[in-house]
Amino acid sequence: MYALVDAVSFYASAEKVFDPSIRNKPVVVLTNNDGCICAVCPIARRLGIPKFEPYFKVKWLLQKHGVVVRSSNYELYADLSEKMMNVIARFCDDQYIYSIDESFLLFKNYDNLIKDWDKYGHEIRRAIWKETKLPVGVGFGMTPTLAKAANHAAKKLLGYNGVAVIESKSSAKEVLQKMDVGDIWGIGRKISKRLNLQGINNAFQFSTLDPKSIRREFSVVTERTLNELNGLSCLSWDDVREDKREIFSTRSFGQRIVDKHALQAALSKHGAIVCKKVRQQSSLVKKLLIFASSSPHDDFYYKQSFIYEFPVASDNSCDILSAISSVLDEIFKPGVRFYRCGVGAIQLESRRFQQSDLFMPDNSNPQLMKCLDKINNRYGQGTLKLGSEGKSEKFKMRREFLSPQFTSNWKDIPKIIC
Amino acid sequence: MKFIPIYIEAGISGFESPATEYKELGLSLDQLLISHPNATFIGQASGESMIEAGIFDGDLLIVDRSLTAKNGNIIVANYNGCFVCKIIDKDQARLLSASKDHAPVKINQEDEFQVEGIVTRSIRMHLKSPELLKCMP
Repeated sequence: MYALVDAVSFYASAEKVFDPSIRNKPVVVLTNNDGCICAVCPIARRLGIPKFEPYFKVKWLLQKHGVVVRSSNYELYADLSEKMMNVIARFCDDQYIYSIDESFLLFKNYDNLIKDWDKYGHEIRRAIWKETKLPVGVGFGMTPTLAKAANHAAKKLLGYNGVAVIESKSSAKEVLQKMDVGDIWGIGRKISKRLNLQGINNAFQFSTLDPKSIRREFSVVTERTLNELNGLSCLSWDDVREDKREIFSTRSFGQRIVDKHALQAALSKHGAIVCKKVRQQSSLVKKLLIFASSSPHDDFYYKQSFIYEFPVASDNSCDILSAISSVLDEIFKPGVRFYRCGVGAIQLESRRFQQSDLFMPDNSNPQLMKCLDKINNRYGQGTLKLGSEGKSEKFKMRREFLSPQFTSNWKDIPKIIC
Repeated sequence: MKFIPIYIEAGISGFESPATEYKELGLSLDQLLISHPNATFIGQASGESMIEAGIFDGDLLIVDRSLTAKNGNIIVANYNGCFVCKIIDKDQARLLSASKDHAPVKINQEDEFQVEGIVTRSIRMHLKSPELLKCMP
């Protein structure tokens, strides 16, 4: 049996943990630079506050309902996530942390120990609520995809109180019939649109299709999803997160950038973030995409991008940042008020299977990069950086509605009235 | 010109400290004060109503959420949207102070009330800590 445990609108719920004054109020959390709404608590959801809308568009609606608005407080979320995961880990010996607020559990040989999965799910929920004050949904299923579907039911469908169990064909049918095909884990928007055109609307209909023809029409991944819905486990922890094939770092600026050096610094900073992530998964960058643009809402929209191909793939920050500097003149245009920029490693190679080049020297400097990453992990991102990243703070994230760092900064610990 | 004296070393290695094996046995306050790290948070007391229980203004409170409150425990609760530190009287649904100047507070139906956790330790900073000073207004 598999389980998926995840928090109910994690960022918004996390905001309520140390601020009891907003526990019963509608709360939304904004993305980086306060751009869009990324989390809506259940109270705000009932008021009809939409997710993923730009903040400026729904500002009036939020004001009308007295919704509490918060910027993303990553320091707080990271701490609460770790605590929540540790509490979840108590309930199973095989845990896979899938994201900041989602955790899979695999129960092998638990059949004699746990007779009532629903009851066990409620035990998990109660413990997490009591110890971390975070509300979670728990879904059990015979496969990871069914556990994910059950989790969806536990949180979104009527009649399930935060826990749902799929342990047979009939309980699977019951849940899948009420689920849109697009809500299945692994079915993206494109595939669900095509399925809709064929008259396949709910997840149960999809599960009755022929796996072989699905494979022919879509892909082996979609076939696996189908098999998983029918109780055939196809995913294992290692498959759930494979190395990324592309790594991007991009963001809109808190303030517009008109200066060439400021743009270089911003691009370099993104480059440094990409390099760090590339090294984390032991990859090397072969092709790098570098781009910058003004806002599409501007009168004259300007967008320029450049692809840089390295003769020998590299994970050396110095190589990548000098590549960025070399194309800066192509991208920068005087008079343009740059709104966003970014860097993406669009072709990666594995360090393990690296082809060395007969004529090009190996420029990598693993000791230096290891040292750089270690220092930045210990003392915070940007403690040690390359000169081109600059020291300006101009594109620091805008977080106007940031809550205190209740658990990571002594001056912010919660006040308790005596 | 500067001279840097360099002494000749003859590979003297000295004696290994007989305590090397015991190096890891230092004392950790976390280990002593926090029994359930995942369910514990640290807050700061503000006010005088718990003085007779030994909790003074500015003390640090270690709050354990995993324990269930028993009658007479010092607890932290969410009382109408504020964290308060009081003694719980379950029989009469009251919050008691540890000071003659503060009367018991009755918890009514319309009050928002949740027990957050139990105060397992309180810590007094006899010399002000620079880290914490910033938070005193």
